[in-house]
Amino acid sequence: MTMIKSINQALDLIMSDDPDAIILGEDIGINGGVFRATDGLYKKYGADRVIDTPLAEIGIVGMAIGMSVAGLHPIPEIQFQDFIYTAMDLIINQMAKIRFRSASQFSCPLVLRTPYGGGIKGGLYHSQSGESYFAHTAGLTVVTPSSPSDAKGLLISSTRSPDPVIFLEPKRLYRSIKEDVPDGVYEIPLRKAALKHQGDDITIVTYGSMVPVVIDTVERNNVNADVIDLRTLMPYDKDTILESVRKTGRVIIVHEAPRTLGMGAEISAMISERAIEYLYSPILRVTGLDAPFPYRNEEFYLPNEKRIMRAVKRAMEGV
Amino acid sequence: MITVEENMTESISKEEKALLVKGYTAMVLARTLDKKLVSAQRQGRIGFYTPMMGQEASQVGLSMALLPEDFVYGYYRDIGLLIYRGGSIEALLNQTMGNSADSARGRQMPSHLMDKSVNFFTVPSMVGANLTLAVGTAYAYKMRKRKGIVAATFGDGATSTPDFHASMNFASVYDVPVLFFCENNQWAISYPVEKQSKTDISEKARAYGIRGLKVDGNNLVDVYRTTRQAVESIRAGEGPILINAVSYRMGPHSTSDDPSKYRKDEISEGSDRDPLVVTEKLLISMKVMDEHLPQAIKSQAEKIVDSKFEESEKIPPASPEETFTDVYAEDSWMLQEERGDLL
Repeated sequence: MTMIKSINQALDLIMSDDPDAIILGEDIGINGGVFRATDGLYKKYGADRVIDTPLAEIGIVGMAIGMSVAGLHPIPEIQFQDFIYTAMDLIINQMAKIRFRSASQFSCPLVLRTPYGGGIKGGLYHSQSGESYFAHTAGLTVVTPSSPSDAKGLLISSTRSPDPVIFLEPKRLYRSIKEDVPDGVYEIPLRKAALKHQGDDITIVTYGSMVPVVIDTVERNNVNADVIDLRTLMPYDKDTILESVRKTGRVIIVHEAPRTLGMGAEISAMISERAIEYLYSPILRVTGLDAPFPYRNEEFYLPNEKRIMRAVKRAMEGV
Repeated sequence: MITVEENMTESISKEEKALLVKGYTAMVLARTLDKKLVSAQRQGRIGFYTPMMGQEASQVGLSMALLPEDFVYGYYRDIGLLIYRGGSIEALLNQTMGNSADSARGRQMPSHLMDKSVNFFTVPSMVGANLTLAVGTAYAYKMRKRKGIVAATFGDGATSTPDFHASMNFASVYDVPVLFFCENNQWAISYPVEKQSKTDISEKARAYGIRGLKVDGNNLVDVYRTTRQAVESIRAGEGPILINAVSYRMGPHSTSDDPSKYRKDEISEGSDRDPLVVTEKLLISMKVMDEHLPQAIKSQAEKIVDSKFEESEKIPPASPEETFTDVYAEDSWMLQEERGDLL
């Protein structure tokens, strides 16, 4: 099963189990979403619960917050993460702070799904990886899956979270990988990373669309690496990272987002504060560039096997 | 503008008389509290405040038209609305002080009201940010066939925000039970409403296919009667309405603002356009109250406000522990660690 199918199946199960669940967004109803994540749900659950919206991200996000305040369980979709910025005030100043500013008298559990990242020839405005903007905001939980079965389990868990979740879907993986996905409802815990490959020489911390790239790279090159898929970016799982780093003494962080102040900066600082005495070599980052995302040269922008292996060699040499 | 003064003396019922006296009393209480908070800020007893003097009739008239089951997304001047709705003065003062009895635990600046017991949502600083939320809540009310409508208040400045446009449009498209009530006090800090908008605010409704009304926001009876009709229509499922209640911000935008930099005050306290004076004269002429009642209500309000202020002032401030809770339902490890480091 592909990731887009597993997401569709998760949404279907959530909608059928929970009469308060409600989906809203642009072209998600009759059309089933531009990537088909909500295909068939409009027909099954009706226009009141699978709501096509006018073209305004602040309308979608604001309505979802207001629905949640009133006890519904909205799952808004923003068509591309690149389009979310007009609604950032509502996400950062309302969604993330309602529990705090009301001392938990009000809260707004909801799951905001949005495709992110490059690799589909989307250019500047259909390729961005803006996870740091969200992960920098206390009150938000930021989740990103890296496989079809993870996507389903993490999405179901997200809808059961008492707090708002920004669910970033690596659209490059929507149809590029297939795997068996368990039937029915199952949860994958939030705030927990997954060890996706085991080894003793080096720890590679990654997430989202870079997970399969990193796993392919270490397998093809026989790198004896722990590959950690963060799954939840905020609050991320420091214990799994530290346990691995204390074993290997070498760390590479791989993500698509620009290097400066990306997740890699935080993880690197966290490791430096707590486990620097275990390190044989500097913590290295293999990331997207500190430039807007390009159209024609997207493969050049994205971390790949060559760049990851260059970092692995440097880490192993200890310089 | 709709004028109700001429034809209302005859038809007034006993119940409406009692309601109007209750409304007038809430206006006086709001005015008294407002003045107390401004002077307390000047004396250094509270940190900040956004006065509402001039908007008493608009706020209380709206509040009189609503029912307990209705849900209110207010804004940061709405003490009159909240007082009439049954929000306690103690809670309001505790919020202002940020003391340990504040139900929001001292996290928000003064004027950022909340009272869940009367369905009054927590107020943000961002102008207009409550509007799209109101539409979502109204959608939920409609879908669940819940009793009640949603009311959102905002100033004239908010009508320029993208939130205003999106909320009008979404409310119209989904035909949800929501009242948009513009407390048009004619000033967005230093920017006057005639520059903020080239059209009358009520006319904007037409572009969205909803109804727009304009009322004299200094006249309690006008605000109440027009808004009640609007609310009844929304309650009957006839779609959203925008009301432009025109009043005048008699004070500064906030205690940090000096209006003499940008305007000459057009209405001062006690003048014949002061909503309290307008309403007082009107209710006496309508024989809703006799001419001695206002003074009695005012002295009573001063006693209440002074004593409650002093009581609230004695309560110790919110504890630093409150900085670490309610960020998530379950604390993040970051917060647990930061709490361990600092406390």
